[in-house]
Amino acid sequence: MNQPASLPLAESLLAAPLPAGGPAWLDAARREHRAAFAAGGLPDTRIEAWKYTALRGLAQRRFADGDAAAAARGVDVAAFALPGVEGPRLVFVNGVFRADLSALEALPAGVSLQPLSQALRGDAEPLRFALSRPALVGHGREAGDAFAQINAARAADGVVLRVAAHAKSIAPVRLVFVGAAADAELAWHARNVIELGEGAELDLVEQHVSLGEQAQLATLVSDIELGDHARLRHVVVQDAAAGANLIRRSGLRLHARAQATLHVLELGGALVRHDLRAELVGDGAQFHTRGVFMPHGRQHIDTQLAIRHQALDTTSSSHWRGVAGDRARGVFRGAIVVAPGADGSDANLSNKNLLLSPAAEIDTKPELEIYADEVKAAHGATVGQLDERSLFYLRSRGIPLGEARALLTAAFCRAMLDDLPNAVLREHLSGLLIAQLPA
Amino acid sequence: MNDTMINEGSTATALRDNAGVAEALGRSYSAGFVTQIEMTGLPPGLDEGTIRALSAVKREPEWMTEWRLEAYRHWLTMPKPDWAKLNIDPIDYQAISYYAAPKKQPKSLDEVDPALLETYEKLGVPLHERAALAGVAVDAVFDSVSVGTTFRKQLADAGVLFCSMSEAIREYPELVQKYLGSVVPTGDNFFAALNSAVFSDGSFVFIPKGVRCPMELSTYFRINAQNTGQFERTLIVAEEGAHVSYLEGCTAPKRDENQLHAAVVELVALEGAQIKYSTVQNWYPGDENGVGGIYNFVTKRGDCRGDDSKISWTQVETGSAITWKYPSVVLRGDRSVGEFYSVALTHHFQQADTGTKMIHLGKFTKSKIVSKGISAGRSSNSYRGLVKMEKGAEGARNYTQCDSLLIGKQCGAHTFPYMEVKNPTAIVEHEATTSKISDEQMFYCRSRGIGEEDAVSMIVDGFCKQVFRELPMEFAVEAKKLLEVSLEGAVG
Repeated sequence: MNQPASLPLAESLLAAPLPAGGPAWLDAARREHRAAFAAGGLPDTRIEAWKYTALRGLAQRRFADGDAAAAARGVDVAAFALPGVEGPRLVFVNGVFRADLSALEALPAGVSLQPLSQALRGDAEPLRFALSRPALVGHGREAGDAFAQINAARAADGVVLRVAAHAKSIAPVRLVFVGAAADAELAWHARNVIELGEGAELDLVEQHVSLGEQAQLATLVSDIELGDHARLRHVVVQDAAAGANLIRRSGLRLHARAQATLHVLELGGALVRHDLRAELVGDGAQFHTRGVFMPHGRQHIDTQLAIRHQALDTTSSSHWRGVAGDRARGVFRGAIVVAPGADGSDANLSNKNLLLSPAAEIDTKPELEIYADEVKAAHGATVGQLDERSLFYLRSRGIPLGEARALLTAAFCRAMLDDLPNAVLREHLSGLLIAQLPA
Repeated sequence: MNDTMINEGSTATALRDNAGVAEALGRSYSAGFVTQIEMTGLPPGLDEGTIRALSAVKREPEWMTEWRLEAYRHWLTMPKPDWAKLNIDPIDYQAISYYAAPKKQPKSLDEVDPALLETYEKLGVPLHERAALAGVAVDAVFDSVSVGTTFRKQLADAGVLFCSMSEAIREYPELVQKYLGSVVPTGDNFFAALNSAVFSDGSFVFIPKGVRCPMELSTYFRINAQNTGQFERTLIVAEEGAHVSYLEGCTAPKRDENQLHAAVVELVALEGAQIKYSTVQNWYPGDENGVGGIYNFVTKRGDCRGDDSKISWTQVETGSAITWKYPSVVLRGDRSVGEFYSVALTHHFQQADTGTKMIHLGKFTKSKIVSKGISAGRSSNSYRGLVKMEKGAEGARNYTQCDSLLIGKQCGAHTFPYMEVKNPTAIVEHEATTSKISDEQMFYCRSRGIGEEDAVSMIVDGFCKQVFRELPMEFAVEAKKLLEVSLEGAVG
């Protein structure tokens, strides 16, 4: 660990006063998390989980805490328009809830959606468990959890979304996080708590966008809990501007026969880190992820996926594709743990990557940790180039090399969206992928 | 052989008798300085004095002593590695004797632990070899000296140098100085630094340009192979176009009282050279309750220094309480090839964290990794590997396959592969699976009248076939038997 005080980033994150005026337990928890961050400092590359993501550059910067003028920033709704996704939405600008941009009228029965700031003004007790810890899933005080700690200390807003037992949300619920340029380079934080009751069903779309190229640091921590037989379809589109540093942590906990399917697109940002953890704690729970990360320019995109099978007959499948161009770096870790006694677990993970440029780098690390014997577990990872034969095939049919490459690269990424049921959204996201490809 | 050892042992005694280690340093030892007294070692403990004494005992030149001291000073500054998935009880480095003279040997097989003899029986080790393995004084058993000398003549005719490291330091200092530590630097890692400071002995092999070594070299048949000690240091150099196949270890469990083994093996392959290094490691794994057993912390690395060179590691790891070992290849020369074939079996409370590193630097370099892990009982078996494609590794290629087999509900099988790619023309592929012996496979065997244990060993043998194929034939046969013996009691 670095000496926290010596690093401008840690210093600036510690300097501002903590949000106050919440319930006493929350204020106490904030102080505790802040102290933990101050003691532990920022993770360096000697910490295994941060081996390939050096914070050297970021650690030398200072960010002003929060955006006092967030409520007044002019934000065009078109900036986060998403075809195929109409329905209730919650919009945050620089971490602050914006009622004027949100749409809460069309909430289906049984779905409660409100900003955390509002929820805390009411009966905060149901949030006590989640907010007392930096994150629900995973160990609270792991080395390198500095950002979850600072988030727990500082986040004053975020999403509280609850779907009552057996309620079904037909239209997707959309969560939009906008980073908007301000007078100073900002740090902002958001804390989300999402709960699906027994047999509940939810379509969720999470969007990360930017207005302006200014450097920012945002931390987002989401806890998602799925009750027995609950179903979640979750799409994450991260297309922030080149100045945005986004550090996210999503923890899912799946109870018996719950199912979660995640599609993740990591396109934008400067330094992007996503810790995606799932605990399959109920028998028969299923967790499926499909993801694409496409760093280019000087981007650094790091996805840390960790899936823990803790119950009988649980299933997980994870398919991730990475494409790195220019001087960019893509990092992927896919760890699967099958805990003792989790017989009947079936885990499958693959990560395929394309390197497009001599200055780009891909670091991938699939992991298996198996403590039960009645299991099927497999993983595969590749780093390479487009298949020469496929290129030859296309060229022999008169398609120029550059076009053939673009076509195959697009197909390579698009495959991850194939099982997305929303056709309009799928086409739109494919378009985003293609736009990201080098000309 | 005995002459040399007695000589060294007596020197150690003389050192202590002469009131102080420091004083002895400046002394030169004439060839006639041989007295026939009981051999002893250095007392436990480690400081610069111990290292100077050790170096003096071994009659090493000044540069060697300095080399050791430098390693020791570096070691003092290094933290103990804790990244492996291993539970290691703290090791008291001051409690170890860094120069143990040969231990008191049993006079005949009657004095040897019957359990050990039973294992030899099961493995089908020839009678005369059993005694040697059990540590019975060699001259009483069979004439290994003459076997050794016959081989030696043949090797000398071919121009191959094959001797103990101590001898090499004295006889071929310029070669040792040129290559020792050039693959695994003294400060490479905690255990390599410790080894560099205190290594007791090991093998030295030098194959001159264009020579194909006329036979497979084995420590087992080498004179002075006994008591190479817990800090073994091996250096194999194959000059341009040379070929050598080296076998290390033995399938039968060796009587051994050393708790910590920290060996370093360095391979250097110059242009067009090929080195094949096969290991069967079967040190004492501790009993079924996890008490005792060897800590096997080994740094093995090959350097494909020349173009078109090839280094191939094959290992069968069944012994040791804890194995920490990553035989690696640095693919420096263009078109050089690195291979790693491994079977690691853990049972009872054994722990293994083993794998390889393939560092691709040269153009069109190729590497292949095949790792088979088998865990039974309450053991923990991890594969940890790194494949790195550096910027210059144009057109480089890697293929990795890691399979784990679980036998029982309380063991763990883990896979931690790291892939770092900085060249867009390189291709890296990794595949891993974890499974248990399926009920269908068992049912098939049982329905054909094959007993449960036989069925398991058949299936395990099939699982490991890809690796066994790479072993020299007689080793492969023994390795198969070894797995059977090691897995006894794993089922049912």
